[in-house]
Amino acid sequence: MPKILVIEDDPDMVAAVRMPLEAHGYEVVAAASGAEGLKKVKEIHPDLIILDVMMETTTAGFQVSLQLRSPDPASEYAPYRHIPILMLTAIHSTTSLRFGPDEAYLPVDDFVDKPIDPEVLVEKVRRMIGQ
Amino acid sequence: MEAEVSRRLAEAALAAAQADGAEVRLLDEAGQRLVVTAAAGDAPHPAVSLALEESPLAREALAGGGPVIGADVDLTAAPRPGSSLLCLPLQHEGRSLGLLCLHAHLPRRFDTTDGARLTPLAALGAAAVAVTQALAEEKNLEASRAQFVRVATHELRSPVAVAQSLVRGVLKGYAGPLTEKQQEVFSRISHRLDFLESLVNDLLDLAAGKAPELGEPVAPVSVTASLRRVVVLWQPHAEEKGLTLTLRVPRDPLLVHATEEGLDRVFVNLVSNAVKYTTTGGTVTVTAERAGGQVEVVVSDTGIGIPTEALPHLFEEFYRAPNAKALGEVGTGLGLAIVRDLVQRYGGRIGVQSVVGAGTTFTVTFPVAGEGSG
Repeated sequence: MPKILVIEDDPDMVAAVRMPLEAHGYEVVAAASGAEGLKKVKEIHPDLIILDVMMETTTAGFQVSLQLRSPDPASEYAPYRHIPILMLTAIHSTTSLRFGPDEAYLPVDDFVDKPIDPEVLVEKVRRMIGQ
Repeated sequence: MEAEVSRRLAEAALAAAQADGAEVRLLDEAGQRLVVTAAAGDAPHPAVSLALEESPLAREALAGGGPVIGADVDLTAAPRPGSSLLCLPLQHEGRSLGLLCLHAHLPRRFDTTDGARLTPLAALGAAAVAVTQALAEEKNLEASRAQFVRVATHELRSPVAVAQSLVRGVLKGYAGPLTEKQQEVFSRISHRLDFLESLVNDLLDLAAGKAPELGEPVAPVSVTASLRRVVVLWQPHAEEKGLTLTLRVPRDPLLVHATEEGLDRVFVNLVSNAVKYTTTGGTVTVTAERAGGQVEVVVSDTGIGIPTEALPHLFEEFYRAPNAKALGEVGTGLGLAIVRDLVQRYGGRIGVQSVVGAGTTFTVTFPVAGEGSG
């Protein structure tokens, strides 16, 4: 059963993510902060990470992804660099703050907008895990 | 800016009075201390910041509202033999802002004629200081409003987004099978949450639109390109409703001073309203053309129309015409308020003509970019 780590500080949002994923047979593990998330990455070695942007700070999610994808070969996260990251964003689509997957700026593989559409989420997860 | 105005005032006073030194001292926010904001020449000021109570001369000038002359003393009334001092109050609309002080290394250098001669300069300087202070205050207010909007964006949107995400999961059956009744109730909740989301987004757009520092800089952008994007976006909705949506624009890009995003927002609102409030078989026509120094965009439909009594309120926040509400379409009553704000920001005008049951025509005009003053 593929393991998904959800790093998100809002337990209700975790519930919303967990519901469709568990129904599709994924194992979901939650972490309530960036620090806890990084610890759990090492502990459970997930197949996919779902990451919120704004947690204890407005950019906590960015910091987590930057650490996980550090190009430094001596990085303690080097063994986890290949794990796909799906970022949860709450960026209002009609503002000028549109952003898409941009390797140069942010090392994540895809984005899902909040509010979450469960089918869009499941489809992205399935594709990213390579099923 | 306050420092710049003070510096010019000190320099002008120094030259006009042919004194050895000049300084501008402004009262702090509490009105208790006089702080030097600019000095010119060799102004022998006692301290950069001086409590009012330490300076009898300053108190006298501020209270009397006229020039005060000091001989053989400095501003704190400490002895300074062989020197002269002239203090003029800086007052604007009855409010004391501070002092303009002149010094000379000569005894009895200043008399009442000097005071009278410099009074108009002090009055002008005070007016300039008052204006810069008011501008700075307004800038602060705008900055804190922008900050508020940023915080509110997250705080208001995230609970709505969470609730919507949960309800969508339930509606898709991920929390177990639903009875027909439950399905109906959750659909109603979901519908209300969609409305709440658009309300929050519109409110935040409106607030952001009114805080100019949040917007991109205005530059020449194409009305034709914006209309093409918007019409392509709305064509599927129009077809779904059985409407004919037509766009007629010239080859000319029709450049106006705006931002692409703002212009898109204006036309999305107008075209989506037209599609929303026109029934099956109707038409929505969008045209744009140059008329002299103006670009004129007309969005007309054969929809339900707007009652005459509703027209004066159409651009007010939260207003929705009674027949629009009765139609049951989701609407926040903020779309046209946002449109009006944006159009005015780009130096344009918006007008509306409507006949109930026959249709509505919105006309937006913008000055052509690169002509006249632009």
